Amino acid sequence: MRSFLLLATMMLSLSGCAFNSIFINYPSQIAPVKAQLNSATPQNAAKIVADEISGADGLLYAQEAGRSAQIAGDFTSSKQYYQQAVAAYSAFDDKAKVSLSDAGATASSLFLNDNVIPYRGPGYERIMLHQYQALNYLFAGDPQGALVEVRRSNELQSQEQARYQKSNKSVQAMANGTIDAEMNKLGKAAGSTTSSFLNAYSYYTTGMLHEILGEPNDAFIDYRKAAQISPNNPYLQKDLVRLAKELSMPQYDEFKKRWGDAVEPTKDQGQMIIMLERGFVPEKQSFTVPFTIEGNWQTASLATYYPNRQPVRQGQIQGLGTVLKTAPIADIDALAITALKEELPAALVRQAARIYAKAEMAQSVESETKKRRNQTDYASIAMQIFNVVTEQADRRSWLTLPEQAQIARSYVKPGSYSLMLDNNPADPIEVKSGRTTLVWIIDTGNYTRFYSIII
Amino acid sequence: MKHLKVVFILAAVIGLSACQSKVEYGDATEVETVNENFGSTDLQAIAAKMVDSMLTFPPVVAMTANDRPIIFVDKIKNKTSEHIDTESVTDSISNKLLRSGKFRFIDMTKVDSVRKQLDYQNNSGMVDPSTAINFGRQIGAQYMLYGNLSSIVKQDGSTKDVYYKMTMRLMDLETGLIEWSDEKEIRKVKSKSFLGL
Repeated sequence: MRSFLLLATMMLSLSGCAFNSIFINYPSQIAPVKAQLNSATPQNAAKIVADEISGADGLLYAQEAGRSAQIAGDFTSSKQYYQQAVAAYSAFDDKAKVSLSDAGATASSLFLNDNVIPYRGPGYERIMLHQYQALNYLFAGDPQGALVEVRRSNELQSQEQARYQKSNKSVQAMANGTIDAEMNKLGKAAGSTTSSFLNAYSYYTTGMLHEILGEPNDAFIDYRKAAQISPNNPYLQKDLVRLAKELSMPQYDEFKKRWGDAVEPTKDQGQMIIMLERGFVPEKQSFTVPFTIEGNWQTASLATYYPNRQPVRQGQIQGLGTVLKTAPIADIDALAITALKEELPAALVRQAARIYAKAEMAQSVESETKKRRNQTDYASIAMQIFNVVTEQADRRSWLTLPEQAQIARSYVKPGSYSLMLDNNPADPIEVKSGRTTLVWIIDTGNYTRFYSIII
Repeated sequence: MKHLKVVFILAAVIGLSACQSKVEYGDATEVETVNENFGSTDLQAIAAKMVDSMLTFPPVVAMTANDRPIIFVDKIKNKTSEHIDTESVTDSISNKLLRSGKFRFIDMTKVDSVRKQLDYQNNSGMVDPSTAINFGRQIGAQYMLYGNLSSIVKQDGSTKDVYYKMTMRLMDLETGLIEWSDEKEIRKVKSKSFLGL
């Protein structure tokens, strides 16, 4: 009777959540969105996930919907989706230190899996959300709104920096046996430099927006941070020398020695800034270990990334006279891998507790009499099946992000230019003397989309 | 059995009454602390302080003693990390200044509409030329009112500290001199509750 009740409640609790990522793994839910984005008709991609925004993982779906709309060039609806994600983040911020709903989610994660815990993105996702929202405002013709988002992202960046300094120690301190092996594997995949903790692309975007919207001093600060994370980007180096000269900063001499003198536009030239985003960030995979506890089958599933990272091609921009080569500024996949590495210790603690809870459940339904008489113990089998089926790794992450971001900048004569990225042509893009043309290129694999605005 | 019914009905009544949402009118000048974001109380505090400061500043008092100077209000620059409707702040301030009877205002946000209307009166052929208002008869502003709203936000675990500073200035357009300037500071601290939903 007891076992029957237990199973019945379980069925009830499960039927309520059949549509989110508790049973259907998250990457396979997003696969149709990515397929649409990588087709000639990306307009409907955002709508696939838009319905899920009201659910428990609304934050994640709002991010995906916002980014999908953005890739399709619909900046107005992208802005609305992102606003929902921003609201979800601030709701998390406002939660009490000991939150009953959090405790409830963690408790149910002990019987099912980590996917029942409402999604709360890692730091870099939240920063990128504001960075993309700033671009939405900019492309919608609201530079002041864009700067507000830039400042928000700056605030979060400094929080993340402080957290990184702490977590660097704590991540190392948590190291032991099994965790160690898994973390080392992830560490190798991500690289252990600061570039996998802090996002140079966000710093560069906020810096660039500061610069083109008339706040060169703030731009200089962000560019310097970006250069600390990604020191080998030639365009970033040139920007730093130029701004140091323009603002007569004390670092000017040092920068000049290291990277050569500032290249400045002539009077009639206009500036073209190119941001290139390539591919999609890799999906989390799961690795599952089956084992038995007192004769009952159980599994443990954890999320991981495959270590085989493909190098991303450098972009070649034709149509500006000479071929302009874009240079990588940040690997988003490395950031994702590091974020997972940081989450791993807590996930392992929950995993251990879950194994214990599930083993107890399996034992509680086991019938001693049936075992003695060698009869089939259906309750016990059902419970074991339940335990194995519900054990799903938490594979949620913002999947419509690019794999890598690259930048380039050039001074050209005013006029109309027909750009080509690796032989993919764009509509003519105009450059005006003394103004900046920002060209945002999103390459999803089969399709390349160009968005531009003159500031 | 009867008891059980009563208990059930009572529980249902209590349960339902708690779920009912209601709408109430509140006092528009009441202190609002729904969250730490820029809110009505901040707007009112800024407008009150700025108007009060300007109207009592001795040189401004002297300036308005025999004359009603003409001001135009430039946009207040939003340098915070929140999307704030700064036009609403300037509206409140110019409203109060105008109501004091000491200043006159030119509304730059309506220039386009005015131009369209005058164009219609003069060039459409629909309006009696003797009643049409001619171009070039408006009066130029003597002063410009402008400002900055900036913020510093700090967050650490359970505490969030938001500091706002509103700076406003009145510039004489002829001489470029700043005739008046003041600032209003607001600090809000939010601490998270320990236990909650």
